[in-house]
Amino acid sequence: MKIWQVLKSALVAVLLLLLCVPAAQAFCGFYVAKADSKLYNQASQVVIAKDGNRTILTMANDYQGAIKDFALVVPVPVVLQQEQVRIGDAQIIERLDSFSAPRLVEYFDEDPCEVLRPMPAPGASRGPIPAMAPAPYQEDSLGVTVEAKFSVGEYDIVVLSAKESDGLETWLNQNGYQIPSGASPLLRPYIRQNMKFFVAKVNLAEFEKGGYSFLRPLMIAYESPKFMLPIRLGMINSTGEQDLIVYVLSPKGQAEITNYRTVNVPSNAEIPVFVKAQFADFYKAMFNTSYNREGKKVAFLEYAWNMAGCDPCSADPLNQEELKKAGVFWLTPNGNNNVFVTRLHVRYSRDKFPEDLMFQETSNQQSFQGRYVLRHPFKGAVSCEAGKQYQKSLPARFEQEAQTLAKLTGWNMQEIRNKMKQLQSQQTPFWRSIWP
Amino acid sequence: MSAEFFSHTSKHSLFFCYAMLQDARDYQILFLSGFLILGIATRDWTLQFDLMAVVFFTCLLTQALATWYFHRPSNPSYSEIFASLKSAVITSLSLCLLLRADSYFTMLIAANLAILSKFFIKFQGKHFFNPANFGIISALILRPDAWVSPGQWGDDWWYGLLFFGGGSLILKKVGRWDTTVAFLLTYSCLEAVRNVWLGWTWDVFLHRLMSGSLLLFALFMITDPRSIPNARVSRLIWAALIAIFTFILRNQFFVSEAVFWALFAVAPLTILLNFIWPASDFSWLQTTNLESLSVAKDEEPLGIAQHTI
Repeated sequence: MKIWQVLKSALVAVLLLLLCVPAAQAFCGFYVAKADSKLYNQASQVVIAKDGNRTILTMANDYQGAIKDFALVVPVPVVLQQEQVRIGDAQIIERLDSFSAPRLVEYFDEDPCEVLRPMPAPGASRGPIPAMAPAPYQEDSLGVTVEAKFSVGEYDIVVLSAKESDGLETWLNQNGYQIPSGASPLLRPYIRQNMKFFVAKVNLAEFEKGGYSFLRPLMIAYESPKFMLPIRLGMINSTGEQDLIVYVLSPKGQAEITNYRTVNVPSNAEIPVFVKAQFADFYKAMFNTSYNREGKKVAFLEYAWNMAGCDPCSADPLNQEELKKAGVFWLTPNGNNNVFVTRLHVRYSRDKFPEDLMFQETSNQQSFQGRYVLRHPFKGAVSCEAGKQYQKSLPARFEQEAQTLAKLTGWNMQEIRNKMKQLQSQQTPFWRSIWP
Repeated sequence: MSAEFFSHTSKHSLFFCYAMLQDARDYQILFLSGFLILGIATRDWTLQFDLMAVVFFTCLLTQALATWYFHRPSNPSYSEIFASLKSAVITSLSLCLLLRADSYFTMLIAANLAILSKFFIKFQGKHFFNPANFGIISALILRPDAWVSPGQWGDDWWYGLLFFGGGSLILKKVGRWDTTVAFLLTYSCLEAVRNVWLGWTWDVFLHRLMSGSLLLFALFMITDPRSIPNARVSRLIWAALIAIFTFILRNQFFVSEAVFWALFAVAPLTILLNFIWPASDFSWLQTTNLESLSVAKDEEPLGIAQHTI
């Protein structure tokens, strides 16, 4: 039986479909494509709704193996009882993903002989959740205590505390969770920090009864000053790179990582029009280039915006009901949706990210979005002097766009120029060269 | 008569030239501005130039007004007030490097209280709070929109070298190496013990220590010779205490601004330590060996509390 999942359930080799969303007008341009989590074949997604010490954490499961083999072991700061665990809604994570994903925006140049139009510009209540009391079971000879044991939906869950990592490893093995070698030393630091272990596996009967085709996300609610995500366990068997997308929802402002640098992804770059057909490739290449340039040891900020104040928004903002499903617990029925969304994209590997991720909420209200701009040149006939100047300026602009693209993605400059020429020759009628 | 006059002026101008090079604060300003420019250019900081302008303006204005007001009896000249602005520039640079806020008012409060703390919170004529640290903590306590970003420098080794290079030059001048060494040594030992106890690999330990923000703090903030204890033994104890506090706050209470709270909490101990181990107060130009010059004695004609960060 092959099991071991930590915040990262395994992978999908999703072929990249370019998502040409029906054009929605926003930011006085048109969103034509987005770079959401489907781009990466090993992306885990976590939603953290946090206000002070109160946290609701949602872990998305994109596990693709045999359901009977699935298991999840997550170190958690406190013992969780049944009422603190819920089944989440996978669609909500998709909504958050598509809402905050980096965007390709398309503009069409106006007739340079006409006057330009101005553009519109873009634009905080709390409620408690009940605290839970633990009810520990008896400790066994291995030093492992089953603090809680319950079922939620299709998951059978135990919450364990342990005295020694060897004992915990043995316990997990004896109870049908096969632990990969090398797990014990990695479990020890969490035991020593007095953390508990949230262990979930799938109850096959329930799963089949529910008629689900995939595993639904798990949500946990707890109160603790610890604002961290344990990534070390997830790297137990892997030296490769893993993608993690964290959505932090907070009433306060932007979240950042305190023990690694948080860097904005390159944004607001004007790139050649042909990228529209290959935005997914573009974003992946650009992300990879930035990741390498920063020494593979930073977290990237892809989106930061207050959902109450995005006007226009990159997609329909989540309504109160959806926000509740995402774990947001501080909204009042008739108040505004004061939820600041921070989307952090961390590509981590064992050698560059030795420590678990530590976060902090800040009151930073600065908005940020990964946004890439296509500007279609004006194709109509121009007769005025300004129009002629405009046409003269185009080659320099195209060259600049090509250079920006090459710099962002590391793509070959000559190939970019060729692609641009191809597109231009396809689009520009032949007579325009003599009858502008 | 004319020969005597000539020798007197040349002695003075010689001193001033020498003093310009010898005053560690000039180096401090140079390095901190360098770090700020480097940070803005190479790191992804959410710095806003208007907020920085508020900090500089508030610090300088508060310093000038307070100097004038508190030293009216000695009727300070413009040049004396102007000279006192050097430390205000250092405080401004430190606040710009370390403090982040979402409003002008928060920056104004931080800058204002940072400078005023030197004039109001004194014991026997010596201030014991580091002004920038006081400003940061005031902003964190009084305002909801202030924060510090401990991860902002990352853990690149060449930043570490840069901080060490700049820091060591200043520390050599002011003779406060002991403080940095005591702090880093104590903190590393505690982190090492924790690392062994938890069973983490050593790269976790190194990663925790290579933080640019921690090094900047150790080299530039806790070495302020004007506000830290005077005797070496006091400084060693003082720095070790800050390290212990930082360690506890960071690992037990998960406070991301642990170093600043630790310094703030331990700062008042300076009075007690100076009482137990008395030593002469630091003067910025004592290292120039020109004390015989009357100008050197006049270095603090106003008793202005000067400081590094």
